Amino acid sequence: MSRETVGTPVSTTIRGWAVDPAAGREGAAELEIRDGVLVQVTWLEGDTAAGISPGDTLITPGFVDLHAHFREPGNEDAETVATGLAAAAHGGFTTVCLMPNTTPAIDEPSVLARVREAAGASGSPVRVLVHGAVTHGRKGETLAAMGELADAGVVGFSDDGAPVHSAPILRNALAYAGALGLPIIDHPEDPALTEGAEASEGYVATVLGLRGWPVAAEAGAVARAIAILADVVRDVPGARLHLTHVTTAASLAHVRAAKVAGLPVTCDVTPHHLGFTDEWIAGSRRWAWEALGEDGRARDPWSDGALVARPFSTALRVNPPLRSAEDAAACLAALADGTADAIATDHAPHTEVDKHVEFGWAINGISGIETAIGIVLAAVESGGLSLARAIEALTTGPARVLGAPGERNGVAPGLREGEAADLVVIDRGASWAVSADALRSKGKNTPLLGRELSGVVRLVIAGGRVAHAEG
Amino acid sequence: MTAEADRPEAASSGPVPWHHRHLLDVDILTAADIDLVMRTTDEMREILARPIPKVPALRGTSVTILFYEASTRTRVSFEVAAKNLSADVVNIAAASSSVSKGESLVDTVRTVEALGADMLVMRHPASGAPYLAAEVFGGSVLNGGDGWHAHPSQALLDLYTLRSRLAGGSLVGRKVVILGDALHSRVARSNIWTLTAMGADLWICGPSTLLRGFEGWAARGAAGRPFTVTSDIDAALRDADVVMALRIQKERMASGLLPSLREYAARYGLTRERLRAAKPDVVVMHPGPMNEGVEIAADVAVDPRSVITAQVTNGVAVRMALLYLLAGTKSGEAGA
Repeated sequence: MSRETVGTPVSTTIRGWAVDPAAGREGAAELEIRDGVLVQVTWLEGDTAAGISPGDTLITPGFVDLHAHFREPGNEDAETVATGLAAAAHGGFTTVCLMPNTTPAIDEPSVLARVREAAGASGSPVRVLVHGAVTHGRKGETLAAMGELADAGVVGFSDDGAPVHSAPILRNALAYAGALGLPIIDHPEDPALTEGAEASEGYVATVLGLRGWPVAAEAGAVARAIAILADVVRDVPGARLHLTHVTTAASLAHVRAAKVAGLPVTCDVTPHHLGFTDEWIAGSRRWAWEALGEDGRARDPWSDGALVARPFSTALRVNPPLRSAEDAAACLAALADGTADAIATDHAPHTEVDKHVEFGWAINGISGIETAIGIVLAAVESGGLSLARAIEALTTGPARVLGAPGERNGVAPGLREGEAADLVVIDRGASWAVSADALRSKGKNTPLLGRELSGVVRLVIAGGRVAHAEG
Repeated sequence: MTAEADRPEAASSGPVPWHHRHLLDVDILTAADIDLVMRTTDEMREILARPIPKVPALRGTSVTILFYEASTRTRVSFEVAAKNLSADVVNIAAASSSVSKGESLVDTVRTVEALGADMLVMRHPASGAPYLAAEVFGGSVLNGGDGWHAHPSQALLDLYTLRSRLAGGSLVGRKVVILGDALHSRVARSNIWTLTAMGADLWICGPSTLLRGFEGWAARGAAGRPFTVTSDIDAALRDADVVMALRIQKERMASGLLPSLREYAARYGLTRERLRAAKPDVVVMHPGPMNEGVEIAADVAVDPRSVITAQVTNGVAVRMALLYLLAGTKSGEAGA
């Protein structure tokens, strides 16, 4: 199949190692798709399963990204809805939730309509869901048109890029959105503690002379948001808090405790906070799990020869910042034990003009929707995460955060007979070189440029139609 | 005397074993690299002692001094050093807000190169900025101070000054105390690398708010080489061989890191009284510019034990050595 087939209904038979978190099942399987409909799923056993292992062809439900920035309207030089959707499909995603920090912000339905038009015009079958802004213009002062946005079909509310800093506004937003049946997707950060901050406060930032971004700036905001949620749910049982891109052991401890207490809180972690660490800013390029010593503490890249790349690469400047190997390990452990519900990419494409500058002056963000599965599969290879749990965090996990599927919101990932096929086929035995040309996104701002990633996304079917096909 | 005879010894004794095209940080320098800089500086000192302290070593070489931060001492020191070597010198005082003006560092550096610069000496308020410049500049980049990160020529001139002053010229086992605001100091960071590389017993001392992160660094050491971090000035100064006071800036009060300059001076100011705890022949240093009466008492600054003016003089010699060594490498050669 070639790229020209994008959008056409699929008829094919696929054999491989299927992982279906919706059915709680994993094993050798054969899937038959006719005119876009998954007509039959046959789980193979005995001789018929011979030669099929989790290491070759992987078949899973299409991935769901809770957190992506496609920059349209307003910053189409960095990404458009069309290029973002092509990138999403290349990464195995069949559903994306777009953040509302466009220009203008998605704080009322007319901007949402523009995004939907762009998605329709793209011809991509990838499903576009949208988060509305919490506050007018994302300024954190007054509530956005939340009810109108809900009527228009947003799946959550977020001022992402910035926290909802005002505690009273966060409280009101949780209550108002809760009554609408939608979650607040909070970017936890205490901006007073992060003013001018460049890199996670700690060893690497100290050596490099970068202004420290304290762990407490996130953990404190997480604790505060959870405390406010606990108050709100007493009056509004439908209130839901989702903490996005959680990066520290301290934050995750708060989330774990809140879940034990039965609060309606969920969270996600990003592939880059799982795979990369702050030592990459010093020039290391080893995976986070390779940067962890046997004593469970981060190794010292200045002592063990790990510094191989030029330091201060702005491709690594991101909010929240890359953390220590210990924090990255905590994120992986949180995924494994269910404290983290989802892997979300925080795909943040940027132009060269915003990135080819001094580290401290570069814009925050990593273009990550196409490399997410590569990082996650590398984490699985490392033994720190089961394949089943990884796929769950990319499919049913984020779907649960969104809530029960309705007409225009929510999704139900799964390999179900009789429904439109929505799945991804990955060749785990193959690898690809991440390059500016290979990336469909306009954002080439990834520290993985030049690196080989295992796991080639061969076929992506969204809603029964081809979203991506290669090789 | 011919021009050849005027060339420093390092060149006439064969190929220069210096392989760093740029000098962006001191963390990559080996003990042999540092030793070469010291020996070359000796030769530059000898040139500076002549009636006419000028040699044609860099004749025809264009050195651009690009400073995005106000500086008198370092900028003039580099300029004098380059002129002593007969280089052509261009001075650019750039606005640190070049980004807001729409002129990027990358664009400026490319322009400087197109205008004929062979070497670029730069100072910049953003940590790591010289690495970006080195990525696009065809010649050699010499970091004249970047943010809080590094100040290689200062650390090397401090080292040179100490080696000349300490008996035996060795730092091995000598107790060296860096006193003050390490958090915001590129001088402290660069000195941590070079002084530990030379075997000094290094102590970093100051109020805890100005040592943030350094305890964690000390726990690992500089590439594994240990040093000590403390807020206890009495413990730090006890039997010290060397004390280097760092500049305290008034902004530190506004940002809530310190109660007042008065309190800082009382608790951490380097006074004669305090120096009694150190060895009798303690060496007193300061990278300048000084706030006399705050981090260092006026009488201590001019005390016979102070080498502050020698630091300035040696600064020219060290920078001559660095310019000379870097000029011996060409674009495309191995090393960084």
